[in-house]
Amino acid sequence: MIDTASIMNILADTQLLSLFTSAAFIIVGLYGAIFLDNIIKKIIGIAFIEEGANLFILTLGYKQGGVIPIFLPGMNAEWFAANSAYPLPQALVLTTIVIGASVLAVMLAIAMVLYKKHGTLSASEIFGDKKIISRNKNSTSKNRGSNNFDDVGDANE
Amino acid sequence: MNELIALMVIIPIACALLLNLFHKKDNTVKIIAIVVAIVLPLIPILANFGLHYFGGHAPLITNPSLLEKVPETIANSSLAIFHPAVTYSYEAIQKVFIFFLGIVAFFAIFTSLSQNKKISGVLMFLMFMGTAAVTALLLSDDIFHMYIFFEIAALTQVGIILTSKTDNNYETAFKYLILGAIGAPMLLVGIGFVLGIVGSVNITDIVYAISQNLVYPFSHSLLIAFGLIFFGWLYVSGLPPFHTIKANVYSQALPNAAALLQVFTVITFIAFGITIFRIFSYLPFFKTLVLIFALLAMILGITMAIMQTDFRKMIGFLAVGELGYIGLGFGLGTELSITAGLFQGINEIIVTALLFIGFGTVLYLTKTSDTRKLGGMIEHTPKLAIMILIGGLAMAGVPPLNGFQSKLMIVQAALDSGFPEIAIIAVLISIVTFMVFVKAFHSIYLKPKPNNLKVLNKPVPNSSIIAITVLLILCIVLGLFPQLVTDSISQFAMGLI
Amino acid sequence: MIELVVMILAVLGCILAIMQRDLLKAAILTGINGACVAFLFQFLLSPDVALTQAIVGAAIIPVFLGLAVYKTQRNDES
Repeated sequence: MIDTASIMNILADTQLLSLFTSAAFIIVGLYGAIFLDNIIKKIIGIAFIEEGANLFILTLGYKQGGVIPIFLPGMNAEWFAANSAYPLPQALVLTTIVIGASVLAVMLAIAMVLYKKHGTLSASEIFGDKKIISRNKNSTSKNRGSNNFDDVGDANE
Repeated sequence: MNELIALMVIIPIACALLLNLFHKKDNTVKIIAIVVAIVLPLIPILANFGLHYFGGHAPLITNPSLLEKVPETIANSSLAIFHPAVTYSYEAIQKVFIFFLGIVAFFAIFTSLSQNKKISGVLMFLMFMGTAAVTALLLSDDIFHMYIFFEIAALTQVGIILTSKTDNNYETAFKYLILGAIGAPMLLVGIGFVLGIVGSVNITDIVYAISQNLVYPFSHSLLIAFGLIFFGWLYVSGLPPFHTIKANVYSQALPNAAALLQVFTVITFIAFGITIFRIFSYLPFFKTLVLIFALLAMILGITMAIMQTDFRKMIGFLAVGELGYIGLGFGLGTELSITAGLFQGINEIIVTALLFIGFGTVLYLTKTSDTRKLGGMIEHTPKLAIMILIGGLAMAGVPPLNGFQSKLMIVQAALDSGFPEIAIIAVLISIVTFMVFVKAFHSIYLKPKPNNLKVLNKPVPNSSIIAITVLLILCIVLGLFPQLVTDSISQFAMGLI
Repeated sequence: MIELVVMILAVLGCILAIMQRDLLKAAILTGINGACVAFLFQFLLSPDVALTQAIVGAAIIPVFLGLAVYKTQRNDES
């Protein structure tokens, strides 16, 4: 039953396609965050998960052939109400983008401290094996504690 | 005085930002922190019950002059009763919880101010920010707003772990963030599904749309939304499979901060639990699912607690296990059970804070938290030991303390709704809790003192003793007069069903 | 059709960033992905969100990642 016409229909449906895109982001991000060993890679994966979630929510407000939800003078209110995209998801996504970026910043700050402490970026060596940690003990740093408080503080604002 | 409702969140946030500015000026930080911490429990007492619409955007239906101006298609549809702005609703239940949150926050801030030599404006910032965030969680009637404030609370929890100088705090914080960065977007996508179906993120609107059949209640998208939000709930509250990381988070923080962290968890659990119950309790498998996870949390929490040798980790696992009782309240789904569950939540807030601060004094005197290396502490702090013992008995549910009242109510509710098995499990778990606590108490206080244990030769700080005494008095008062809080809770529970 | 191209670019950028051994390149690929998503937001009728995403996704996040990689190590040896 798959003919060119139906494929063209799907390809013309921006909403459906961007839902697929967001699903692809989330899947790739989950793969990166769960299965990859490098903690920077894990963080990149997490950035993709958040991007996928944002794209998903934004797509919900989309209207095929609609207009940007800004009411300009001279527009007919009824026509505008019938044709504009839904603005609520857009307002929500603005917030989640900023939150995602701040979580990312905190995670990167912690990743840098962990690298100083363990001398590696590998999650299995940092979290798991005690033996490997003791091998890398020489590279531990003494100045833990108050070095990245300000990062945390900034991110919370 | 409805403005006070918004001020409950705004004052701690403003105070937090101010304290961050005064990072190195110890006296200023101290004065501001103490004053605001005293104000925090007072505001809920002064505020009137009611709704607060941010920006004054009330639903159209409450504003007849505006209602005439909009097109009839909108005025006659359900859009007219939808809430256009973020709404805070302040009722008796929020009053109770915010009051106890304020009390524990005050003592956590007070004890950590008086015990840390170097006063850190950053730690104060994080504590106030977290308090503001969970207050907003309780007040908010907007599921997306709850997600935002949950993220802020999670970040402050991570920050509080980072300010403690324990081993492995960075590793634990990073693990928590990784799990959080997987769990929180799931919650967000779930909220997105609900938004896509209903078109609003206001919980009252969602409940209205589902109950009035504006949307098909058993549609696949709504079921997926339920699954995702439920998964998010498991993550935000540290139910299994997230119980290990939550207990580790508690054990990595300083004891005073851990007392506040567990309050954050309990209140997040309750706020999201109430939300999920309001929206999804019509689903036939809802109650079974909640019951399964609540029982799992109880059993796993208690079995993990038995095996611990570090007493901070042990209290952490006990706290996670106690969450299961609140979950049972939601899972049984009757008025009595929800009242019992929420009452248990309040008791857990008080008792676990007491235990964290109380055992914190042991850590303060000996600098170790390993129960194998401890012993004979009763010579040093006999009065404190007795107070902590009473606190532990309250957690285990010994009459006439508060834990007994709430657990008895849960057992009764389980019997009433025809689940004697759950009642038996609840009783058994509380007996095991008692055992675990007595074992820890014995190995810290009663067992002969090991030779190599060095105890600091200085008295326990007065702030800790005051905090423990006040919390203990609250335990006893709530145990003798449970109707002080259960009345307002049962009112709320009646409205929930 | 241009939406389709942007979407494919975005997904490709995201898969390549995950597969990349060189972490600095991965950070830059994150930026390409963020820029594509910003364009996509513009096509989804939300110019204000697209502006934010263009700044955060295409500039701030790659720079943060790049700084973190610069301060740690560049190669993913696993």
